[in-house]
Amino acid sequence: MYQYIARRLMLTIPVVFGVSIIVFSIIRLIPGDPARAIAGVNATPQFIEQVRVRYLLDQPLYVQYGRFLTDFMRGELGNSIFSGRPVTTEIGERFPRTLLLATVSLVIATMLGVTAGIVSATRRNSLFDNASMLVALVGVAAPVFWMALMLQLLFAVQLRILPATGIGTLRHIVLPSITLGTASAALMARITRSSMLDVLRQDFITTARAKGLNERLVVYKHALKNALIPVVTVLGLQFGILLGGAVLTETVFAWPGVGRLLVDAILRRDYPIVQGTVMLLALLFVLINLVVDIVYAFLDPRIHYQAGSGE
Amino acid sequence: MHKKPVVVAVALVVLLMVVAASPLFAAGRAETAAVRDTLTIAIGAEPESLDPVKMTSAPAATVGEHVVERLIYMEEDGSLTPMLATSWEANADSTVWTFQIRRGVTFHDGAPLNAEAVRMNLARFVDPNVGAAYAFLLGSVQDIRATGEYTLQISLAQPFAPILSHLSHSFIGIVSPNQIRGLAADGTFENPIGTGPYVMERWRRGDSIRLRVNEDYWGATPQIPNLVFNFIPEESARIVALETGEADAIMAVPPQDVARLQADPNIDVVFQTSVRTIYISFNNIRDPFTDRRVRHALNYAVDKQAIVDSIFEGSGFVADAPVVDAVFGHTSVGPYQYNPARARQLLAEAGYPDGFSMTLHHPTGRYPLDATVAQAVQSMLAEVGVNARLETREWSSYLQFTAQPPAQAEYDTFMLGWGTVTLDSDYGLYALLHTRQWNPSGNNRGFYSNERVDELLDAARIETSPDRRRSMYHEAIQLIWDDAPWIFLYNAAQINAVRTDVQGLIHHPLENLSAWEASFR
Repeated sequence: MYQYIARRLMLTIPVVFGVSIIVFSIIRLIPGDPARAIAGVNATPQFIEQVRVRYLLDQPLYVQYGRFLTDFMRGELGNSIFSGRPVTTEIGERFPRTLLLATVSLVIATMLGVTAGIVSATRRNSLFDNASMLVALVGVAAPVFWMALMLQLLFAVQLRILPATGIGTLRHIVLPSITLGTASAALMARITRSSMLDVLRQDFITTARAKGLNERLVVYKHALKNALIPVVTVLGLQFGILLGGAVLTETVFAWPGVGRLLVDAILRRDYPIVQGTVMLLALLFVLINLVVDIVYAFLDPRIHYQAGSGE
Repeated sequence: MHKKPVVVAVALVVLLMVVAASPLFAAGRAETAAVRDTLTIAIGAEPESLDPVKMTSAPAATVGEHVVERLIYMEEDGSLTPMLATSWEANADSTVWTFQIRRGVTFHDGAPLNAEAVRMNLARFVDPNVGAAYAFLLGSVQDIRATGEYTLQISLAQPFAPILSHLSHSFIGIVSPNQIRGLAADGTFENPIGTGPYVMERWRRGDSIRLRVNEDYWGATPQIPNLVFNFIPEESARIVALETGEADAIMAVPPQDVARLQADPNIDVVFQTSVRTIYISFNNIRDPFTDRRVRHALNYAVDKQAIVDSIFEGSGFVADAPVVDAVFGHTSVGPYQYNPARARQLLAEAGYPDGFSMTLHHPTGRYPLDATVAQAVQSMLAEVGVNARLETREWSSYLQFTAQPPAQAEYDTFMLGWGTVTLDSDYGLYALLHTRQWNPSGNNRGFYSNERVDELLDAARIETSPDRRRSMYHEAIQLIWDDAPWIFLYNAAQINAVRTDVQGLIHHPLENLSAWEASFR
């Protein structure tokens, strides 16, 4: 098991390396340059030249990349071109906020989604089943943007019980996390339901029922544990998506997280910030996937990770 | 038996709502204490930095000027009044300027303000190793010297008439010498220590900047103890924040939401002129735009008043010159009255009786409703037979696309805006229309060139008599207008909104919102 984890961790190196090459070249291939993005129409040729020299943008791409890579090895991510502050500081300030938002959203999504999925599956074609699957369909399809504005209008403008924007108190996280969690909850409900239905049709469940176990034990002990494997996969992926994909939610609710930092940085051609943020998100995605795989082993005793076996 | 999960889910949701709504967590922005001591202003973008040499945006200027002051202040009408300098005078040929620095002023860290402190700041601002984006504002400065405890002397390589208005620019702020002493050339700081009416308290990145009143302020101490700037990028969320009272004032209201806010009895909508003019520049060295009749025709073909009235709901003004009317040197020479018949006639005279096809490049989301304006212009041009193909780009690419040298410039026409933030014609005309400023050495992206205009703009830079300068600019503006290197469109208005219980906010034409004279009703 430990060998397996070590091997998987080693595998993150080529992945991160690959991501670094892709992000490094893509951000430089799109037209536009940071000096102009910073100084706008007023940018003087002198200033543009200065920024190019200071951030090595006048050098060939491979020289820039080599420098970036050696700095990265030393844990140096450079300074933001836009604010002049260290990239690690910029990301360090915002990442905890994104992590908080994603975690709360995921908890909400899991609670609602898995519960609704189980109930729907055990009472297939009931009113609850149909209603919750319809809601789930709408939840997956509703644009985040629209959802956010509707929640703001209802809870902030009409009812005046929750703040519309900003951070600071527990109340501030309610609307953004519901907005962000809705689509995941809906997805989770549908996956849980279908996975549960699959499992409930299997022979061992029939056996369990046949030997007279009570239905509750059958559903929650025998069926659920098996049905959760795809759910855990989705959960892991969703967490990765929530971490990196909260841009719209963060924008509408003025939630100062890492998603907004990334989008702003792309628009400003703030290369160091874009590189640092994408590398961090890629690394997290890889690690989350590893955790998911490890969790499988606990859920399904048939899965063993041994050195030498394939993953 | 299976009811449990449902019950649990419902219970959790209810619990969440109760927690959310409970007064236990009622420390949010929406709640106001019995005594109101905090004014909250929501702005659309976060300042990039509050270090003067790093500042480049209007939001940075708005927040920064509450903390850091300049030598000279520019009033709303463009007049210059003493700030950290109490008086100033020039030698006979205006190459040496002597400033008396205000006595008895201390920085927020207790350091005294004196000529040496000012010198250190200005020297840092123009230091090429520091690389301030706006160092060109003081481009002709040769030497800065403290000649006495409170006397500062600035020597110029050649006379530069707009020097005083440039010194009033929000980015030439004076911070405590302790903050910049020993700082590396590329060093910067986060919380500026200035002499202003407010003191930096906390900058929560991405969210807000909190200021508190400077009790030892040299001028009139502000009435409101705390000032918060919230960054809310999304327009509709900014409006929601104002409606709920989370914000007391917001900047940059979209024109289409003006009516909704005006209907709210608790909200005042404020229209203020801006220094920004919006235009569509021709590529003046590319056919058919080398023909003045074509350029005139397109000016006549666009109904500017209709754009202002229907797209901007009446806010904004039809441009009557290449700079807005608050700018020194402005003279009203326009507009080209909407006249499609005349446009068609001019096109026919130029040899295009059936019109022609061209590209119109425009930004999207940079200026209010810019893409909508481009579409309106497109349909107006179609009326006179000119088929304009709209092309847009994301802002950073757009800036680069329109900054190519003459041989590589691939555009027929492009839409852009320019804010004459020094309120002096030099800043508005020289950079955009002087032949020496052609891409890539400057910002003359449309390759306009007129020898007489160049002469006048050069002469006005070094002319010391305001009257003579003014008449030079009048002549230049008339020539530019007749040459019509642009389709002159409109001067944008800035639209802010304020809750009615707040008074005394200064809505400055420079797109700053200042709170030092504000109070609650």
